[in-house]
Amino acid sequence: MTGASIAIQVLRLAKVLGRRAVLKDVDFQIVAGQRVALVGANGAGKTTLLRCLASLARPSAGAVHWFGQPARGNPQARRLLGLVAHDSLLYPHLTLRENLLFAARMCDVDHPRQRVEGLLESTGLRPHGHRLPAAVSRGMRQRLSIARALVHYPRILLLDEPFAGLDTAGAEWLTELLIALGQSGRTVCFTAHDDAIISRLADRVLEVRSGRVYEIPRDSAGIPILYRSTERRAA
Amino acid sequence: MTAKLWWMIRKDLLSEYRSRRTWPAMLLLGILVAVVFTVQMDLPPEGQRRIAGGLLWLAILFAGVLALDRSFALESEDHCGEGLLLYPVSPTAVYLAKLLVNVFALAALEMILIPLFIALSGVPLLAHPWATLLVAGLGNVAICAIGTPLSALAAKIPERGNLSALLVFPLIIPVLLAASEATRLIAEDRLGAEWWRWVQFVAAFALVFLVSGTVLFDFLVED
Amino acid sequence: MNRLKNRRPRGAALVDILAAAAVATAILAILFVAPTEATMGLAQRIVYVHVAMAWLGLAGFLVMATTAAIYLARRDLAWDQWSQSAAELGWLASSLTLATGSLWAHATWNTWWTWDPRLMTSFILWAVYCGYLLVRGSLEEPHLRARLAAVLAITGVLDVPLVIMATRWFRGIHPVAPKMDPAMHGVLLLSVAGFTAFFALLLVRRRAQLRLDGLLADIDAGGVWTAECGADETHPTPHTLPFTLHLEE
Repeated sequence: MTGASIAIQVLRLAKVLGRRAVLKDVDFQIVAGQRVALVGANGAGKTTLLRCLASLARPSAGAVHWFGQPARGNPQARRLLGLVAHDSLLYPHLTLRENLLFAARMCDVDHPRQRVEGLLESTGLRPHGHRLPAAVSRGMRQRLSIARALVHYPRILLLDEPFAGLDTAGAEWLTELLIALGQSGRTVCFTAHDDAIISRLADRVLEVRSGRVYEIPRDSAGIPILYRSTERRAA
Repeated sequence: MTAKLWWMIRKDLLSEYRSRRTWPAMLLLGILVAVVFTVQMDLPPEGQRRIAGGLLWLAILFAGVLALDRSFALESEDHCGEGLLLYPVSPTAVYLAKLLVNVFALAALEMILIPLFIALSGVPLLAHPWATLLVAGLGNVAICAIGTPLSALAAKIPERGNLSALLVFPLIIPVLLAASEATRLIAEDRLGAEWWRWVQFVAAFALVFLVSGTVLFDFLVED
Repeated sequence: MNRLKNRRPRGAALVDILAAAAVATAILAILFVAPTEATMGLAQRIVYVHVAMAWLGLAGFLVMATTAAIYLARRDLAWDQWSQSAAELGWLASSLTLATGSLWAHATWNTWWTWDPRLMTSFILWAVYCGYLLVRGSLEEPHLRARLAAVLAITGVLDVPLVIMATRWFRGIHPVAPKMDPAMHGVLLLSVAGFTAFFALLLVRRRAQLRLDGLLADIDAGGVWTAECGADETHPTPHTLPFTLHLEE
């Protein structure tokens, strides 16, 4: 495998928060086009890992690379990545449209206005484009966060608990979207708890436990075997 | 980079315009302080000219700190500040944008306070308008240069109260002294070598902290 | 098993004694050796302590800022511990500077305060120390705390020369170096040296205290140490720590 087709490379990553080593000696890679689910108990370190992958958190040791480029200290490389975080990261006093437009301009998108209108259309938010984030539902804010993460056509999309707070229709829409993204060659990495969604969506499942990352194996049909026991597997 | 700088400044100014959270309080506080000070200044003209500079700059500082304090508060809501870190924009650009927004806010404050002060106290600052403008401008930049990184610092502390004001005041005293003296000399119509020395001092202060703020900002925003 | 180095190095006791002797000598000299000043009498002796404390307040600031900068470069919390120790002692020295300065002003000019450049500078230093300690006190996360405190320390140290310049030029006040006869000068130097030695000792001891605090907190949190010996969430084994603490010396 050449460097270019490895979307995310994590090298000997460790992250210490407070006095605790939340992540220790994490080492794995994600190939372009894969859809990877991160699972783990609450507080296991999934969000911390995702933040390290997104370059929001500085690793205490080790490094993260996107398509061969270092994630930290390299603002231009951020074009490769889109993040849908736990918080909506929307400016409260800008309308949905203005929030999206700001993101488009900050990412040097060509023809930002057209791109924004297109995204508002495809996320079904066009009629609400003029509203402030507080005036729309959580689900709509979630959809805008997703639109914002995609505005610059990133090659990697990271999502932190994207299915939390979505109703069935919303979850369905998001699942379809992520499948489509994976099929178009984009790399998707998301955290989730719902086994049904993970089975349907993920090519690969990584479990974060005790600060380390373990690969969840698949059964004969290729479906990841999700379980909640304390058996250990090597990464 | 300049385009992105402009979009970030515009975003902050637009947010402020819509929320009206900082500027009204800042301007009102400035006016109140200026009025209270000028009331106290019931002295013969000579005495007034001596202390006008100091009181004017105190008023600008008290009110200005309000604006500085809130400049990063916007980014703490919903962790928007993190959103900025996800864009392909250097932390230096983010810092400069915040700095310029603060300079803008303080300029608006000065445009109201200085004429008000002159009107209420009768101190002849308008006799040398360009000198007054220079001192006001440089003092503005100096205050923002040291206040912007400190407010970024305070924004990272939960339950911070008025911490950034507390941190800024002792460090800004040199500017307070320098700008006050420069203003006093303008009021006393003594624009000589001494005045010029104070002006250079304020400029030097601004330069030192513009550079250090740019360098240290990287350390403030990383997680 | 590794032994946690809690034992003090050989010769540490000697250093303790020397530092104690230095400061004791200084105090005795201040009280008995220094000639009594003509106009102010006994009260003038405060100045020996005042100058020493003023020097230590400034020195503490420089140490605090330098170790903070090294922390930012190396990210080793040890440097942050040195920074915190220097700040605490510097704050103490600074507070004593203001107190002794005030007492001296009262004894000399019958006023509790005077706007002389050096006292102004001491006041600003003291205020910045307060801000620094407040910032530290508001944060729990060690690396975040270290990083923010470091930025504040560096900003502060850049300000110090500017403060000194501005206060000197302000209203044309120039500090006058008091004329001192050689004996007084000698006692002054002795005082500065003695108190510096003493504070340096306090610095080292305080840093050692902070280091131990850090290690204990690591253990409490069941952090890196616990994990290194193979324990995990399902089978915690707090009794197989890879070292032994010798708390009795």
